[in-house]
Amino acid sequence: MFNKENKIEKFKDAETIIGPSIRVKGNFSGKGDIIVEGYLEGSLKTDANIFIGEKAKVNANVEASEAFISGNISGNIKIKKYLAIGKTAQITGDVQCGEISIERGALISGQIIVAFEQRKKDIPEKISEKV
Amino acid sequence: MNVYIYDDFLNKSRYRRTLGKIEIRLTDLGLNGKIIRLGSIKNVKDLIQAELKNGVKNFTAVGNNNTVIKVVSALVSNKAYDFFQKEILFSIIPIGENNSIANSLGIKKGQESCNIILARRIKTVDLAWAGTTVFLGKAELKTNYAEIEIDEKYKIEIEKNINAQILNISDIKNLINIDRINPNDKKLNISINKGKDTTYIASNNIQIHGSGELLLDTSLVESLPVKLGILKQKLNIVVGKTRNFH
Repeated sequence: MFNKENKIEKFKDAETIIGPSIRVKGNFSGKGDIIVEGYLEGSLKTDANIFIGEKAKVNANVEASEAFISGNISGNIKIKKYLAIGKTAQITGDVQCGEISIERGALISGQIIVAFEQRKKDIPEKISEKV
Repeated sequence: MNVYIYDDFLNKSRYRRTLGKIEIRLTDLGLNGKIIRLGSIKNVKDLIQAELKNGVKNFTAVGNNNTVIKVVSALVSNKAYDFFQKEILFSIIPIGENNSIANSLGIKKGQESCNIILARRIKTVDLAWAGTTVFLGKAELKTNYAEIEIDEKYKIEIEKNINAQILNISDIKNLINIDRINPNDKKLNISINKGKDTTYIASNNIQIHGSGELLLDTSLVESLPVKLGILKQKLNIVVGKTRNFH
């Protein structure tokens, strides 16, 4: 999971980095970690983690395993596990995730659904094991 | 058996002394072999094919980046190369200017390159292509405006003041992303820099649209639009300790 101390370290070896001066258009998909510091339009999807920097502007639906968002997103966000929203984040769109933390100052315009899908699946199994 | 392929620019008298020293050193080390001068030969592919048929497994390009591309292109475009690929060993003896490929492989100029060939530190590397040209190191984009399309899914806009390179092996040791550039991962590495900003994307399916050109290994030019990728063939190559990859 992300926290302020380890978030940069975690992304140091990211598979893809989109720098602040770059504009990307289209359906961006990958398997490794992605850092977005620039402009992205279309869709953004990875099996791993996404870091969206303070100056980033993303007009796209975002899907990932975990994410740390500090920038501007217009689109729906679907995160399987943990989503961390920083104080500079501006999100316009619905958010769906397994767990969430929102820093004071973040702006979110949309519906937030925090669904512990994995835990829901796990609980009946654990109960049945005990029985 | 060793075959040394000398580029035609080495016919100039100023290289005679350097070549003489190298030939003596190669003989001292027991690495002497057949010398072929490209000046009088136009079809390098036929020449390589004849040597492959003769059972030659060690090919050495003597010259600069241009020589390396000429010899490697001729080597890998031979049908026999697919069959003998694992046994064929390629080396470089860099002479003169424009030797970024040899530098990135850690091969030093002159007699020192003979010692590196003797040490037989071998790495298998990918070979990249752009349009109809094979390249080993990098392709530099020279354009006022272009779009790089990756995996036929998304595009990146490249403007005049942005430095965009597509790397197989980096010739710059202190490049920020140097550890990511692995010449044996079947991927090309797109590195885009504007000031301190860095963008890095890896792919083996790249198309560049727009007007301008792509400078391959600081030697050959392909005009835009152009497609780039990795060849299915690989190359066993002699490297030095100071190479720019693991």
